[in-house]
Amino acid sequence: MKNKKNLYTLISIVLVFLFLVYANKNFDSYQIRIMNLCAIYVILGLSMNLINGFTGLFSLGHAGFMAIGAYTTAILTMPLAVKESNFFLAPMAAPLNSIVWPFVPALLLGGLLSAAAAFVIGAPALRLKGDYLAIATLGFGEIIRILITNAQRVTNGALGLKGIPDTTNIWWTFGIAALTIVFMTLLINSSYGRAFKAIREDEIAAENMGISLFKHKMLAFIIGAFFAGIGGGLLGSLLGTVDPKPFNFMMTFNILFIIVLGGMGSITGTVISAFIVTISMEALRVLDSSINLGFMVIPGITGMRMVIYSLLLIVVIIYFRRGLMGTSEFSWDKAFEFFKRLPLSKGGAKNAVTKNK
Amino acid sequence: MPLLKTNNVTMQFGGLTAVNDFNLELNDGEIIALIGPNGAGKTTAFNVITGVYKPTKGNIRFNEQDITGLRPDQITNKGIARTFQNIRLFKDLSVLDNVLIANHLNVKSNFLEASFKLPRYNKEERIMREKSLALLEKVGLVDLRNEKSSSLPYGKQRRLEIARALATNPKILLLDEPAAGMNPKETEDLTLFIKQIRDEFNLTIFMIEHHMQVVMGISDRIYVFDYGVTIAQGTPHEIQNNPKVIEAYLGVSEDA
Repeated sequence: MKNKKNLYTLISIVLVFLFLVYANKNFDSYQIRIMNLCAIYVILGLSMNLINGFTGLFSLGHAGFMAIGAYTTAILTMPLAVKESNFFLAPMAAPLNSIVWPFVPALLLGGLLSAAAAFVIGAPALRLKGDYLAIATLGFGEIIRILITNAQRVTNGALGLKGIPDTTNIWWTFGIAALTIVFMTLLINSSYGRAFKAIREDEIAAENMGISLFKHKMLAFIIGAFFAGIGGGLLGSLLGTVDPKPFNFMMTFNILFIIVLGGMGSITGTVISAFIVTISMEALRVLDSSINLGFMVIPGITGMRMVIYSLLLIVVIIYFRRGLMGTSEFSWDKAFEFFKRLPLSKGGAKNAVTKNK
Repeated sequence: MPLLKTNNVTMQFGGLTAVNDFNLELNDGEIIALIGPNGAGKTTAFNVITGVYKPTKGNIRFNEQDITGLRPDQITNKGIARTFQNIRLFKDLSVLDNVLIANHLNVKSNFLEASFKLPRYNKEERIMREKSLALLEKVGLVDLRNEKSSSLPYGKQRRLEIARALATNPKILLLDEPAAGMNPKETEDLTLFIKQIRDEFNLTIFMIEHHMQVVMGISDRIYVFDYGVTIAQGTPHEIQNNPKVIEAYLGVSEDA
């Protein structure tokens, strides 16, 4: 039975791979960009879920970590000529104006710097609990954004950076997303993952079972920030431009929505909902343009989709507090059971009958 | 030398003195009970010993080391484990996971070794699994290992909490009202169970309990609290006949 399941897993991986090959060839650039965004949101969602969902720390500083990753990758990978044309207000600070790094080391350094920032902010902030931690980390995210806006000679301030090499393609984003999924799954199922969950369930009991709260909270916070930095770096490289504006609270809120919808504390849920949310955000763009209902015309209001989106969040929080998956994960057994229970399938109807008796 | 000794431990919250000059001595292998009316400061005394509170005055020595002011996790690492008055299991996690978590303090591998399942971690994981299953076997919960801990009946949740505390390899086990809410049969089983784990794991047990049947049945010595003050201590027989204790529990007769 176990071999059979491994076979199914292998087949699914091959199918996903073939789909990506197909998509890469036949999808237009808009669709491919959405695919890339989905994968990046998987990385960001998982990194936030480790902190908020698995360890139970209510942190809202994710946009800050992403900004650090995005700017690090952008600054290090931009060719010298592009740097010069970007920094026309004030010349770029040395030695940044004369170095160009390859993509992977730049991305990794982005992650590491983000993790370092998490270490610095975490040391004081993780002594706080609940709402207080949320406010402190929210403040941290804003501080990072303001710092970036004002560090003219390093980040080009509010003008942002344009012409970042578009190294990111479907293989980078989905490859790194896959690595993130594998790493998070392994981490969560290890003794450390159990310790994180124990802290989420009951801090006092966890501490009395010999788990150092501070050490484990820091660990989750730093690992989460590392992957947020990587996700930010990929995002910058995908969009080709970064500026401080998008890294505001709304960015954190988007990712928070993904993990709440998917289920706080479920890797499967986060992956599924990253795709749902990213794709539906694009699909809902219709709402921003004017809509003709036949009897009346709703004029296009920019931001209309955000209203719908917020309403959806409220509905999810009121009626589906545990999200799509709660804290459970995908397994082949559960998948088969799910399909068996569908009334249209053979076994399903039979089961329904026997149950009625 | 006693295994655990508190010297004039006092815990004040603002103007309220919850524990006043508490002098406890626990010798190796003893079962000691702490009794007293509600609100006498018994659980506060537990919280001070396990590091939840830092005492306002006095010190605590365990194994001839000063452990005053250490964090709860550090104190558990030294060998003092506890259960809680209102059960604090990891509710959403399985019975086995609850016990495995208590083994985490012995894990030497770092998170990367653990995530990538390197040999050192695999060995640690195997050992802690074997140990946890053996513990669950002993408390009679091994068949329920994959159940959610919150789905267990009350008495079994209490047992699981004890098993979880035992998984940290304690020398002293602090039980906060282990028989609370149990029926007479369960109480009797529990009394036997406490003696059994004391012998099997070479424990010293310090417990808060209201069931006099349990307290008088298994305690070597008893401490009695009233308003944070130790009003009596001694063997069960001495305590039963101590007028101060009777007064604290039943009040004074007006005719007397």
